[in-house]
Amino acid sequence: MTALDEKRDAPLARPAPHKMSWAWLGVMPFFLFAFLFLIYPSSTIVVRSFQDSVTHGFTLKNILALFDNHYILGAYWISIEISLLTSVGGGIFGFLLAYAAIRGGLPSFMRSSLMTFCGVASNFAGVPLAFAFIALLSPTGLLISWLRALGYNPYFHGFTLYTFWGLSIVYMYFQFPLMVLIIAPAIDGLRREWLEASENLGASSFQYWRYVALPILLPSIMGTMILLFGNSFGAFATAQALTGGQINLVTIVIGSQLRGDALGDPGLGYAMALGMVVVMALAITGYTVLQRRTERWLR
Amino acid sequence: MTHLTLSNICKQFAGTTAVEDFNLEVEKGEFVSFLGPSGCGKTTTLRMIAGFEVPTTGKVTIDDTDITYQAPNQRNVGMVFQAYALFPNMTVAQNIGYGLRIRKESKTAIKERVTEMLALIHLEKKGNSYPHQLSGGQQQRVALARALAIRPQVLLLDEPLSALDAKIRVSLRAEIRAIQKKLGITAIYVTHDQEEALSISDRIVVMYEGRIEQVGTPFEIYNFPQTAFVASFVGTLNTAPAEVVDPAKHLLKIDGVQLESAEMLEDKHAGDKVTIAIRPERFNFIAQERKANILDCQIENITFLGSVVRIQLLIGSNRFYMDTFNNPFLELPKIGDKAQITCSREAVLVLKA
Ligand SMILES: Nc1ncnc2c1ncn2[C@@H]1O[C@H](COP(=O)(O)OP(=O)(O)O)[C@@H](O)[C@H]1O
Ligand SMILES: [Mg+2]
Repeated sequence: MTALDEKRDAPLARPAPHKMSWAWLGVMPFFLFAFLFLIYPSSTIVVRSFQDSVTHGFTLKNILALFDNHYILGAYWISIEISLLTSVGGGIFGFLLAYAAIRGGLPSFMRSSLMTFCGVASNFAGVPLAFAFIALLSPTGLLISWLRALGYNPYFHGFTLYTFWGLSIVYMYFQFPLMVLIIAPAIDGLRREWLEASENLGASSFQYWRYVALPILLPSIMGTMILLFGNSFGAFATAQALTGGQINLVTIVIGSQLRGDALGDPGLGYAMALGMVVVMALAITGYTVLQRRTERWLR
Repeated sequence: MTHLTLSNICKQFAGTTAVEDFNLEVEKGEFVSFLGPSGCGKTTTLRMIAGFEVPTTGKVTIDDTDITYQAPNQRNVGMVFQAYALFPNMTVAQNIGYGLRIRKESKTAIKERVTEMLALIHLEKKGNSYPHQLSGGQQQRVALARALAIRPQVLLLDEPLSALDAKIRVSLRAEIRAIQKKLGITAIYVTHDQEEALSISDRIVVMYEGRIEQVGTPFEIYNFPQTAFVASFVGTLNTAPAEVVDPAKHLLKIDGVQLESAEMLEDKHAGDKVTIAIRPERFNFIAQERKANILDCQIENITFLGSVVRIQLLIGSNRFYMDTFNNPFLELPKIGDKAQITCSREAVLVLKA
């Protein structure tokens, strides 16, 4: 038996003839993609941030100007505020929705339609999203008209679509579906055995959540919220279309810098973009660290 | 004294009956296995003892206390699951101490008990490891320690070895049995592996399609299977349709070949159809003159199984297996040869329908 096996295996055991491998060709598209869309643009941003826009010489002027300008610091602050608000709000709502859909015994067809909806909605942004909300929530919008017909006009009670809170609501619309999409696999990964083992050892469902489920899910929840933060921090078109630049988010200010209308200093624009790259890089690092931890647990 | 009692248990899931008319009394310190093919209701029965399922009818009692409707977290029953049930976010020590922490025991008491449990499962050095850093066998030992740490009245194990390699399975089952004996704890062990059940249990409950087929010691189950199912499920067994020739003389006939059994056949009449069963190792080649059970056969195939040689043969039109111990001086017939074999009267079992 063994002798036979050896014979059969013999030809394979012979060393392979030396041949040029073309395997590297397969990864070329990846490197091309990384260069064109990641390395080239971000290195441009880094270089231009340290370049005088007139003399093209090295300068720290642009970077220092960031911290010197209340208008710009304010823009960062508003961007961070709206991103924090919509990532935490959208994150909590999205988590509860995903949990209800997965553990609430929803029939599977409803679950898959929810996932499809979330897939579409999380990519619904920019001008179409702004328009949809204008059609719904502007002073003459559909929902507002209905509410007015019922005798309640939110616009008389401090609500407007074109301010910070209005924009937050619009952002929520693409934030929570993204949360649902990303957190669903983690919730699926909670094993029934953990709940039963916990009960078997005497724990209540509250104790199961407190000591087992939440600690297991927390890195995923936090990680996904960081992702949502980045998602909202980098958004531009929606805010531009909705408020026409009335709310000074970083992206909007950068836009006007580069187009050269308001302050008209491209060097400062690049420095602001660099600031965004730094914030995003921090967010992605945090996300990766947390995600790796849960993957290990939920294997 | 009876420790755990299951009386008249039935369990139905929308339309299907998972367990039917299940009655069992388990003594304190006894190791009882539920053995049967997949889907026969073993897990469901175990989960009713743990409280994860409520019987449709019937009663579960421990020490004369009715726990049929008690919530799982109100019972004092330890359970070891098939696999992957350790909490991944906790260290081995935290996993083992979980039940005691829930019971609000003091930090020192928990620490002491965890140390004791780690020594019991021989993982003293792994207290600070996380489950994903352990092998499958080590994880199951931790799961066992976690279930035992709360000093349960009954220990339940649901195929705890089925996800492990064959070698570890054998050593770990011996370890489980040793720990159970040492602690004197009552244990119910679910398995579909007959060898596992035979080697580990005080008593085996053989189940089939939600019903108990036979309850007995491993010795009884193997040597005296009472139903065709038990006979075929436990060990290798030759079965063949037979006809009663003379009930008074215990004479039967398979395909024209006469056989003598040691079984009582008073309730049978000549001409009745029965099923007979003979273990392969009970056959011998004929070495000396015999009066009864001389069976003419034809050798179909010979297979070496290590310590045993299995010979496939035809008696009439019925195919039988015969096992004989392997040794270098064994004289075997050749394939296609005609031969005569025999077996004792006691080896010929007549199965209940
Ligand atoms: N929660 C449930 N809902 C519906 N049917 C179930 C459920 N649990 C088990 N069953 C059915 O009950 C029968 C026995 O299952 P189980 O006890 O898991 O078998 P075993 O553990 O012996 O493999 C099977 O037919 C199974 O499909
Ligand atoms: Mg099972």
